Amino acid sequence: MTESLVALRDVSKSVRLPDDSMLQILRGVDLEVAAGDHVSIVGRSGSGKTTLLNILGLLDAPTEGEVLVGGESTARLGAGALDRLRGRQVGFVFQQFNLLAGRSALDNVIVPLSYATGAYFWQRKQLATEMLERVGLGHRLTSTPDQLSGGEQQRVAIARALVRKPRLILADEPTGALDLDTGATIMSLLDEVAAESGAALVTITHDLHVAARARRHYRLDAGVLQVADLDRAFAASTLAGGEGLA
Amino acid sequence: MSERRGFSAAPLVGALSDAWNEIRVHRLRVLLSLIGIGVAVAALTAVVAIGEYQKQLTAEQSDRYGGRVATLTMNVGSSDGSPIDWAKLDAHVERVSERYSFSRTSRLVDGTVNSPVQMPEGVTPVLTRLYDADYAVIHRMTVIEGRTLQASDAELLAPPVVITEYMWELLGSVPLSARPTLTMTGDLAGTYPIVGVLPKEGVWDTNVRVDMLYDSYLARAGALPNEASVWREFWVPPEIVNDLAPVLAMDLRAGLDPSLELSLSRSDWASQPGYADSALVFQLVSGAIAGLVLLLGALSLVNVQLVAMRQRIREIGVRRSFGATSGRVFTSVLLENLVATTVAGVVGIMLVVLIMRSEWVVDAMFQGLQDTPPFPFGAALAGLIASVVVGALAGVIPALVALRVKVIDAIRF
Repeated sequence: MTESLVALRDVSKSVRLPDDSMLQILRGVDLEVAAGDHVSIVGRSGSGKTTLLNILGLLDAPTEGEVLVGGESTARLGAGALDRLRGRQVGFVFQQFNLLAGRSALDNVIVPLSYATGAYFWQRKQLATEMLERVGLGHRLTSTPDQLSGGEQQRVAIARALVRKPRLILADEPTGALDLDTGATIMSLLDEVAAESGAALVTITHDLHVAARARRHYRLDAGVLQVADLDRAFAASTLAGGEGLA
Repeated sequence: MSERRGFSAAPLVGALSDAWNEIRVHRLRVLLSLIGIGVAVAALTAVVAIGEYQKQLTAEQSDRYGGRVATLTMNVGSSDGSPIDWAKLDAHVERVSERYSFSRTSRLVDGTVNSPVQMPEGVTPVLTRLYDADYAVIHRMTVIEGRTLQASDAELLAPPVVITEYMWELLGSVPLSARPTLTMTGDLAGTYPIVGVLPKEGVWDTNVRVDMLYDSYLARAGALPNEASVWREFWVPPEIVNDLAPVLAMDLRAGLDPSLELSLSRSDWASQPGYADSALVFQLVSGAIAGLVLLLGALSLVNVQLVAMRQRIREIGVRRSFGATSGRVFTSVLLENLVATTVAGVVGIMLVVLIMRSEWVVDAMFQGLQDTPPFPFGAALAGLIASVVVGALAGVIPALVALRVKVIDAIRF
């Protein structure tokens, strides 16, 4: 296996509820993602998928266990250092796109570059334009989110996630707000662009077709992460008469 | 492509760029929230500027009574009650004055001479003020019609006079272009062309008075009445007045008749100790009012920004997820307010400068102002500082709110 990019070691996460009881979201999760890897994590709603993604993306900290980036523990990093590390290493693609309203596609793609330094910062407009051209939106640079279709908005979001050349791309239900055809096109694009840049891609989804695109598949159930058998899942979903994960 | 480590100007430039983009994208919201600030800064600037103009106007009005800064007034009295030989005293003062080369001096007789003037109801004794031409300059004398008296008027066979506005009205307000005259009887018998009309000090002013050159009066009447008392005014540079006054007084007293008592003192407003205090009180009161207006503007800005911040929580979350540090978010929100209030402040200041530079406005607000001062730089500076300070203060609260946004909650907001 190639060098570990990000690793979770025996990670658990629990939160205190208003009635003072503890809710265990993740239990003893171990996961290693290497450069160029493509991992999918499936699970029901409320199974802790997003919490896991947030911990992988350094947006949240585990209650127990540790997160290693490039073999180094992040436990002792301050908030600012974590923010900068996230900005350099991680790109997010959200289910609801989360584009900034009122800003053009170009302005949205520029956002990650505006927190960079050096050439990434000073050439941000040119880099963002090139990335939008790469995802097929060179003709929609000045369009605002409300002027773009769902598929186009997700393309902008992909361009934004990749423009700073992160080593890890975290996609949270990237096709959740799209129809089947558009979702398939978007996933192909995400796979392609991520492969080009050599970034690892971790996709969280409850769509088995999306999950099937990954090389390694995991299933999160009640906070426990296990290797998933997609063939069995497909069979179960067919019996249940649906496409989603039952 | 690599990212630089160590010092970089990118964060600051980026924060400024973020702030400017935010203002650009939400220009309507920003514009509405900043109207209050622009108006408040304009009010503050205007108050400071009006204070300066008012100070000048008050100074000019005070100059009309006590003379310009610095005016020394000499008064001579007789210790034994015997009449004073004013011509001899004049000659003595002239000799002393030659050594000092005063630019402006004037004799003054006020309140003790009456002249028999032909008025519509008959010959009436009218108070007559006598002075030299420099008196008009020393006292910033203004006229609503015609001109003030000039030194060359003394050579005219028909001595010109200047009368008060109320007296002019009693005489039928004849335009000076029609060359109206006054007729006097007795020792002063003759006609006197009216060359100027002095304005009323207020609607209540019913002062009836004739102003005439001292020498013109003497040429007609031959001498001053016994009860007349002559004052002498010297206009001297303010920076030397304190050193000059005792020396001049000593020189004037030297060689004077022992029965005469001479006093020399400053009569201009700047020598009055309470004057500076009253100007300060005016500025403090008006400044406090402007400060309150500014405070209200700042509160409305904080309000609007806090509501706007609620709507921007998801945006902040997205920015944080792409590497914006909490410090960067804080700086951007703070700069947004700072840049916006500074722009609003500059617009407010420019508006006030444009208004206050208008002659029409200055004439309407400060009637009788002779020397319009340049727009006070201090007023513009005060406005600019106020807008920056308000931007910083009003920006800190929303910036702190932005700082406390939890990223994982914000991106799902």
